[in-house]
Amino acid sequence: MSKQIQNYLRALKRQLWLKGLFNADALDEVESHLLESVETGIRRGLSAEESERQALEQFGSVKAVSRAFEKERNYIMQTLLLGIAALAGLFSLYVDTRPTWDDTGILVGGLLLVSGLLTLLGHRRPWLIGLAMGIWIPMYEIYKSHDIMMLVVLLIPLIGAYGGWLVRLGIRKTFHPA
Amino acid sequence: MIGEALKGHLDLLLLSILANRPAHGYAVIESLRSRSEGTFDLPEGTVYPALHRLEDQGLLESTWSQDSGRRKRVYQLTPKGQEALSTRQDEWLKFSKAVNATVGI
Repeated sequence: MSKQIQNYLRALKRQLWLKGLFNADALDEVESHLLESVETGIRRGLSAEESERQALEQFGSVKAVSRAFEKERNYIMQTLLLGIAALAGLFSLYVDTRPTWDDTGILVGGLLLVSGLLTLLGHRRPWLIGLAMGIWIPMYEIYKSHDIMMLVVLLIPLIGAYGGWLVRLGIRKTFHPA
Repeated sequence: MIGEALKGHLDLLLLSILANRPAHGYAVIESLRSRSEGTFDLPEGTVYPALHRLEDQGLLESTWSQDSGRRKRVYQLTPKGQEALSTRQDEWLKFSKAVNATVGI
């Protein structure tokens, strides 16, 4: 394998690793693709160097490819994180409605912490995480006691979610200024 | 322009190509290019993440095979992928008919 392709694979590996997307199988697949593309170019009469250059050009820049991996992974990740938020919200409702439970502080802390973690892990819409986590208790209370003021509870996971989101933005800006 | 328009329909194109026979990524991309007579010429590296997502969604499955001394990941449609392809083909037919009727082609 040429130095050019080795460098490309090394740079792609680094980018994927930095984004938490590194997958040895995916990188093997990229390597196999590039080598096949180079062989095809050589069979068409290109020099080895020109064929490698074209193979890399057609494959796309490291930045473009790593972004594509990030975007596609996010689709699954976003759904997963939203599902966790909804389950955590339902769990908080279950805990809150236990007759023996009276520690509101722990519940508030849990909602703040989990919603913050979910956006810190990569969910792009803090409002959606806040809503998925925080809507259950107010809905139950409004249904039970018609107390619309219970909607205030929604603020807790929203604060947590926006907090996690801001920390994530700060981390990104520090380590990936571009 | 074509690249942007293509993004929304990439799943349908990939599923259609794999409907004929299992293929590895390079062959899928070559097929995409040749069937469209060069119109769909995406950065090749952006197709792999889409294939992986389709696999995660259960529409494709992949196996590794050895060919010419090289490991290749071969993708094929699952039964769920066949159903999704059929649905998306119907949607595309309706959509393209509506666009053609609107622009007067």
